[in-house]
Amino acid sequence: MADIEGNKNNMNEIFGNQFIELTWSIALQVTFLGFIGGMLSGFIGSGGAFFMTPGMMNLGVLGNVAVASNITHKFGKALIGSRKHAELGNVDKKLSIFMLITAAIGIRLAVWLMKLVSGGGDGHESGVGADLYISIVFVVVLSMVSLSMLKDILNTRKGNGSGPSTRIVDFLSKFNLHPIIHFQVADVKVSLWVVLICGLATGYLAGTIGVGGFIGVPAMIYVFGVSASVAAGSELFLAQFMGAFGALSYAFEGMVDIRLVLLLFSGSLFGIYIGAYGTKVVKEIIIRMVTAVIILLCVFSRIVNIPRYLQQLGYLDIDPAYNNYFDLASKILLYASGITGGALILIYVLKAYFQRRKIQTSLTTGVSSKQTGPIPESSV
Amino acid sequence: MQIICVSRGSFGYGNELAEKLAQKLGWDCIPRETLTDSATDQGIPVGKIESAVLKRHPITEGLAIQVEMMKAFISAQICERAMEKSVIYHGRTGHLVLPGISHVLRIRAIANDEERINMTLRRMPSLTREKARKYNDQVDEDRRRWVRTLYNVDWEDPSLYDITINSLNMTVENSASALVSVAQLPDFMETPASRQAVRDTLLASRCRLAIGRDDRTRDVSVTVKADHGNVAVTYLPRQAKQAAVIPEVLSRIEDIQSIVCTVATTNILYIQENFDPDAPSLEQVIQVAEKWNASVELIRLLEGVEAARVEARSPIVETSYRAANGGILDDTSTALSHEDDAEGVAETFDKLIQVGRANTVRTIAGGTQGLLSGLNRAEKNSLVVVGDVFLSRGASVQKRMRRDLISFLADHLKVPIISTEDLKSHYLFGPKQWLHMALYAVATIVVYLAVFNNQEAILEFLTKPGTGHRVLSAALVALFVPMTAWAYGSFTRYVLKLIKLE
Repeated sequence: MADIEGNKNNMNEIFGNQFIELTWSIALQVTFLGFIGGMLSGFIGSGGAFFMTPGMMNLGVLGNVAVASNITHKFGKALIGSRKHAELGNVDKKLSIFMLITAAIGIRLAVWLMKLVSGGGDGHESGVGADLYISIVFVVVLSMVSLSMLKDILNTRKGNGSGPSTRIVDFLSKFNLHPIIHFQVADVKVSLWVVLICGLATGYLAGTIGVGGFIGVPAMIYVFGVSASVAAGSELFLAQFMGAFGALSYAFEGMVDIRLVLLLFSGSLFGIYIGAYGTKVVKEIIIRMVTAVIILLCVFSRIVNIPRYLQQLGYLDIDPAYNNYFDLASKILLYASGITGGALILIYVLKAYFQRRKIQTSLTTGVSSKQTGPIPESSV
Repeated sequence: MQIICVSRGSFGYGNELAEKLAQKLGWDCIPRETLTDSATDQGIPVGKIESAVLKRHPITEGLAIQVEMMKAFISAQICERAMEKSVIYHGRTGHLVLPGISHVLRIRAIANDEERINMTLRRMPSLTREKARKYNDQVDEDRRRWVRTLYNVDWEDPSLYDITINSLNMTVENSASALVSVAQLPDFMETPASRQAVRDTLLASRCRLAIGRDDRTRDVSVTVKADHGNVAVTYLPRQAKQAAVIPEVLSRIEDIQSIVCTVATTNILYIQENFDPDAPSLEQVIQVAEKWNASVELIRLLEGVEAARVEARSPIVETSYRAANGGILDDTSTALSHEDDAEGVAETFDKLIQVGRANTVRTIAGGTQGLLSGLNRAEKNSLVVVGDVFLSRGASVQKRMRRDLISFLADHLKVPIISTEDLKSHYLFGPKQWLHMALYAVATIVVYLAVFNNQEAILEFLTKPGTGHRVLSAALVALFVPMTAWAYGSFTRYVLKLIKLE
């Protein structure tokens, strides 16, 4: 990275505004985004892109480049994750492959739409169209996800439910749309049509906002009735193909910034392990609560940027001077969500990690079997 | 006393068979429904559990605790009655409710499809034949899901049953007559060891119920095991505060020799014939347990003459490791009188207590087959470590039998099975792991330096127009990204392994 600063001018001359000028500060911020995104991804079991994609956009990366780089990064990340899940027997390959059929179509649709709204994907002005489009999809989809999660949490706290809502499963179970496929590993029987529709939605969202997992995993759990571990493993198996397909599609269009991919990796591959460790030491309801709040803050972060995009495209008549405020508010919300969520997870993880060490130390040095009396409460 | 458990499907045949068999043998017959009704009366939400499983609702932490309470209630009820009189239990998971008790005769009763359809039509005359068939398929599907969710095994796995009775060619009367003969085989007679197993199951179930019924501990997720009155409780680190009162909660229960409470998120089974507290393999097992926050269960596997000696022991073997003392064990209790002491089991267990990793100790007789029937396959373990076993055999035979045991366990248990020799290379950090980490680190640094020192050239290459060139650059990205992720991902995995954050 020694020549980062020196490359600035040449970069603009050669690529226009397609790729961002990479300074040390931006590189560190992208790494940080990767770390937080990875940690959230490991903690929640899917996603992470909901933080990384808008985070990169806030750093000045064009929406299409941010999505392209993120989906390429997701390809590598899913490859590592699905290998581990496969070892644990959590992957239903048949289910993933069935979903992949339409997920590929969904990704192509997403890439095509992205190219359409960005007018060929070249230059800043046309990039604003893509930014607006991505932001709208982001807000609509993730608002629904986070609000339904919060509603389920409230229901659970009131004791009205045994877990997340299953109205969709109950509704779909009334229909018997043939052909019905039996997925042995997941141990469920689902209509082929339902699988194909969910695959299409997953692919489209993975290609548009890079958060296929947010649809894929809940779809498998709530629509197909798959267990959470098999859903996470199968989605990662699916994600590696979707990621590969997305990476190929976007790379073919010349939208992948390989430097951003590497910087995201440098943070996320550490973060994902820490987040996964966090799931073992944090209560399920807290995991869901933290997730919902983080997503909601990310949604607000996108919402405050929409007037800026509308103004830049000439659809809204407001003083351009306000754009800086919108941008600043968006960044604050995004970083607040990421940092708060990340800090919470880190606190829980470190607390559990050091508590574990304390337990071992106390028992081996403070209390031996030659002593009598109870172990101090702090070490139990 | 003898126990027969009948696993039945829907409608009729299994119930009829169990009742007829009970009548012929003069034993008590316990239908599942009687126990679930009692459980519901005592506040265990059986209906809610059934609804959640059958409607595919996720099993939340709270519901998982209720599932354990329900399982403990059913086990306790059967064991209590079996202590007094021989019993026959029948239900959908009849074969799974009493794991680890060797004299239980596990029967699967199946009726052929046509007969089942007829039974369904008799009960629901408004259905057509086709609808009755679909209904039966759905019921089977529900039972499969129930068994998988609650016990993590396949309902139809034949290795979980001792005998399968098909109604196709045998009447209920004849089936019951045949089973009377089977029930009288020596294999299904109570032995001192198996009676102790019933006592232990009863004790563990009572402890589980007591923890779940106490206001201070009802939300604590625990696993409870008992061996010769020594109770082992494990609970999650985040519930340490609530769990601190568990010894007090259990103090009211009779027949407890000792209580060990261990903070653990998972469990490791360590199988050996003899245990040595100073063995390097024990150190390695402890290191893995510390990394994973796991408890260690010692299983002493015996065969041949040694097994016969264990079987012949008095019904209650005095294996009081330590007296219960606020969740830990003091050293003032009487010395161990168990023969295992000479073999180093007690010292090994003491060592596990000192490092806070102790779960329980069990002796399983009967070699490989005995091990499988003695283990609870629905239990959630993370690793099985196989050490020195079959010690009475010659070196080559010992090696071969041990290898066979590992592959046999791998076929039947859904957890990694590993020998003590391979433990270090797979799960601990040694020179080999340092070397691998260094190689991955170098590979990653080279890739990063190459990219960031040649950003301009690389981005120019990736955006160059022309269909041929676009295809080439896309293919290179698709190759480069997973290779980099693999190298860097492996490096991070080793780093986290090094700092024991796995």
